[in-house]
Amino acid sequence: MRAKRFDTQTLLLVVLFVLLAALALFPFYCLALASLKPSKELLRFGLNIRLQPELLSLDNYTFIFSKGAAKYATWYKNSLVITVVYTAGCMLLSSMVGYGLAMYRFIGRNFIFLCVLLVMMIPVEIIMLPLYKQMIALNLIDSFGGVILPFVVSPLPIFFFRQYASGLPKDFLDAGRIDGCSEYGIFFRIFVPIMTPAFGAMIIVQALASWNSFVWPLIVLSSGEKLTLPIGLSSLVTPYGNNYDILIAGSVLAIVPIMIVFVFFQRYFVSGLTVGGVKG
Amino acid sequence: MKKALLYLLSLTLVSMLALAGCSSKKGGTDASPASPGASGSSAPASASANGTPAKLEFWTFNELHQKFFESMAKQWNAAHPDMPIELTATTFPYDDAHNKLLVALQSGKGAPDLADIEISKIGNYLKGDPQLVPLNDIVEPVKDNLVMSRLDNYAKDGKYYGIDYHVGAQVIYYNKEILDQAGVNPDSIVTWDDFEAAGKQVLDKTGKPMTTVETTDQWTFWPMVVQHGSDFLDKDGNVTLNDQANVEVLTYLQKLVKEKIAIAAPGGFHHSEEYYGFMNGGGAAAIWMPMWYMGRFTDYMPDLKGKIVIKPMPVFKQGEMRSSGMGGTGTVITNQSKNQELAKKFLEFAKVSKEGTIEIWKQLGFDPIRTDAWTDPAMSEPNKYTDYFGTGIFTFLDSLKSEIAPTNIKERTPAVSDVIKTKAMFQALNDLKDPKQVLDDAAAGIK
Amino acid sequence: MKWIYSQRLAPYVFVLPFVLSLAVFFAYPVLSTILMSFQEVLPGQTHFIGWTNYRDLWKDDSFYTALWNSTKYTFWTLVVLIPLPLVLAVFLNAKRMKWSSFFRSALFVPTLTSVVVAGIVFRLVFGSLDESVMNTFRHAFGAGTINWLGNRVTGMLVLVILATWRYVGINIVYFLSALQSIPGELYESAEIDGANTWQKFRRITLPLLKPVSIYVITISIYGGYAMFTESFILWSGNRSPNDIGLTMIGLLYRHGIEKNSLGLGSAIGIVLLAFTMVLNVIQLRLFGLFKKED
Repeated sequence: MRAKRFDTQTLLLVVLFVLLAALALFPFYCLALASLKPSKELLRFGLNIRLQPELLSLDNYTFIFSKGAAKYATWYKNSLVITVVYTAGCMLLSSMVGYGLAMYRFIGRNFIFLCVLLVMMIPVEIIMLPLYKQMIALNLIDSFGGVILPFVVSPLPIFFFRQYASGLPKDFLDAGRIDGCSEYGIFFRIFVPIMTPAFGAMIIVQALASWNSFVWPLIVLSSGEKLTLPIGLSSLVTPYGNNYDILIAGSVLAIVPIMIVFVFFQRYFVSGLTVGGVKG
Repeated sequence: MKKALLYLLSLTLVSMLALAGCSSKKGGTDASPASPGASGSSAPASASANGTPAKLEFWTFNELHQKFFESMAKQWNAAHPDMPIELTATTFPYDDAHNKLLVALQSGKGAPDLADIEISKIGNYLKGDPQLVPLNDIVEPVKDNLVMSRLDNYAKDGKYYGIDYHVGAQVIYYNKEILDQAGVNPDSIVTWDDFEAAGKQVLDKTGKPMTTVETTDQWTFWPMVVQHGSDFLDKDGNVTLNDQANVEVLTYLQKLVKEKIAIAAPGGFHHSEEYYGFMNGGGAAAIWMPMWYMGRFTDYMPDLKGKIVIKPMPVFKQGEMRSSGMGGTGTVITNQSKNQELAKKFLEFAKVSKEGTIEIWKQLGFDPIRTDAWTDPAMSEPNKYTDYFGTGIFTFLDSLKSEIAPTNIKERTPAVSDVIKTKAMFQALNDLKDPKQVLDDAAAGIK
Repeated sequence: MKWIYSQRLAPYVFVLPFVLSLAVFFAYPVLSTILMSFQEVLPGQTHFIGWTNYRDLWKDDSFYTALWNSTKYTFWTLVVLIPLPLVLAVFLNAKRMKWSSFFRSALFVPTLTSVVVAGIVFRLVFGSLDESVMNTFRHAFGAGTINWLGNRVTGMLVLVILATWRYVGINIVYFLSALQSIPGELYESAEIDGANTWQKFRRITLPLLKPVSIYVITISIYGGYAMFTESFILWSGNRSPNDIGLTMIGLLYRHGIEKNSLGLGSAIGIVLLAFTMVLNVIQLRLFGLFKKED
């Protein structure tokens, strides 16, 4: 009997989460279903969530990979390249800065932290024009470098790593020094492993941010063959009618890479597997 | 300044590498200069005839416009083997395509040769010194065959800066099935009073509203105002939003809503998903929108095929114009183009010549700005629009040729649209506030 | 090169990437934006106009509407989007929880779902017709049809629901990662002392989640005031009726971009920046973040 393995509290919890998951997944269900139907069916009678097996087919997906939609693959590839490079660079540089701000007392520390907050809160929309001029001066327009470099040292993960590191015991710092590690050795050999859950979270969040980033890449990039997925998908939506054929199926496939990242890195949150070394 | 910055940048890179030694991928993949896309648009065999093809870059926000220009580039190269072009066309998202162009024009670098600008955004590009190339040499020779009021929208100080794709003639679409049930003959609706009476009959007999009105957009209100002899702005750009004609039109619309002859469009405007589903299910008997709305019927309301008839707009009093030019997108040439003369010639070929404008109808389904094309036999060849609406579309349009009221598009147009969309329509047609008061408030907010 | 390894220099080496990024990419744009907020920026005809942009803002009703909307939105997202994901994360982290990995993924899917398409679904679910999902729901309770996106209260409600749907998964990720830094021994010794679940949560989990909670609060305040996309997709544009969904960035977008008054847009941006900065510094000070020993 199942009841033996489930006490009442667990059962209530599971029921709660099943409900929440259903709510969370509902729009995605609509999307996935619509992607399997001819695009006209989506709007024909308002929101249509019936299964209608007779209408289901993979035509939209075959279309995406056909010649007529060759750009889709290009967008996808560009987004992948930018996301991988950005996330790798961002993890390294931001964790360093965050760690430095959390672990050391030094002159200018609070000032730099304030600057981190300030940069975090600048809306990209207002610095678009001057930042673009800056990119012209640096010869970075219409290049992936122009998309990645300005934001690779990103204030949000810096702040997160700072907070995470400040919750960790400082004893390791002294222990490392006694063992003869350099300051950088302490960071790379001792703290990076302890901060694995933080890296897990930030890789997911920053990869997602980069994968979805839209406003700035759109200003910097202009050749058709360099556009990214969010830009490409949005270009299918116009005030004069939308190209739902690629849009819907394309949005479903767009979920795949970050979902893989999520499933892979969420293992670092699984209770009891990490921070074996942390003893209060 | 530039050098110092580059120095700092390389310092950043070096310091990152020195400390990390594992992010060497950075910047590697992207350093290569833009290799202009050898898309399907590049010149065919004829290109080899006389030197290398000139490169032209084109930005738009509509994939269909991109395809149109690409096919016109092919035709150009076939017709002009002595001056071939290589067109690189790119589609960007709607709002952002305009922002991107503004940023590039204001910073003096990065703009394309040719670009599409939507009519409601053109005011932003005509402010100050327009960073665009005047097109008078390709427009003036064929003035008599063009609907010039459409080009005035893209003009400043006597210089024309953009060529529109279409007239956007305002018409009214009736659902014949519902009218038949109610025993109403659409041809007998001549004035707005007739329309109201017919609406009552439809409501009584079928229980359905006669029409829908937009509460968060301007396509219901604007054409009526223009055809009633006024506009939101006058020729000099002064606000006339609260004049007599505007108030009369809004009062009339509010009366329709109060009598339940009209309802607020589900979703707020005639382009919402909720609205398409509603109309497709036979939700209302009529809707007035420009000609380009035909595409929304064919694409999103497949079940109304063969049931829709297109008629001229009703009038407030005999003698008023029965149509107006609404919406639009102009193609411009930027002053950053290195091949301005060639770009002009190509633009003329694609969008001003008779052959080009016929292609606009064939490929895009728009009512082109060149009127001598309308009566060409090519315009009644079967396509998805004639299948849906019948073959008489342009014969009908030709009869309205002299009755297309122009609009005044000025620098303040974006500001007016904004207040119409977010406040005036909703307050008058949803909250049912006093029309005069609503328009006075709206006009006061624009100054 | 030995100096680079000194303990006193090390922190500066750690923060160097940020300082350089600030100098190369942000110093000029920020200064230039401040400058633009005192200018009328026209193509080829830019000139200084003193405080006019700020004065215009001061007299503009829609500025107060936007500020008030953004404040309400920020308030509600703080009320919902901090406690809810925190509690859910604790549940998901509990040993007795079943299929926790599946539920984590399910709650994360909304952040990945295309906002364009999610917008279509939300607009239809909260449609104004009798047949829309939420109106059918109301009818079941004997209530009438309402125009969900047409009035101030329900419009804000739908915005907050949309935000909750989209961001709950991300905040769970933050809290889950923080939960891993809490040593299990603490709970074990508390159990020996006879603490119940609630006491363990109060005494151990909450205090040790403090640093990451501060982070989530700070970015929520920033994110709340920077909200634009949700409003944009819910009303299919920056065009909510009576400005019920107009936000600060929406206002910036309207003036700076839609009307191309970059000067006024910059002024709005500077006001917004100052506003969120002050709020957050106050908040962080209350949590003791700038103290010496922190």
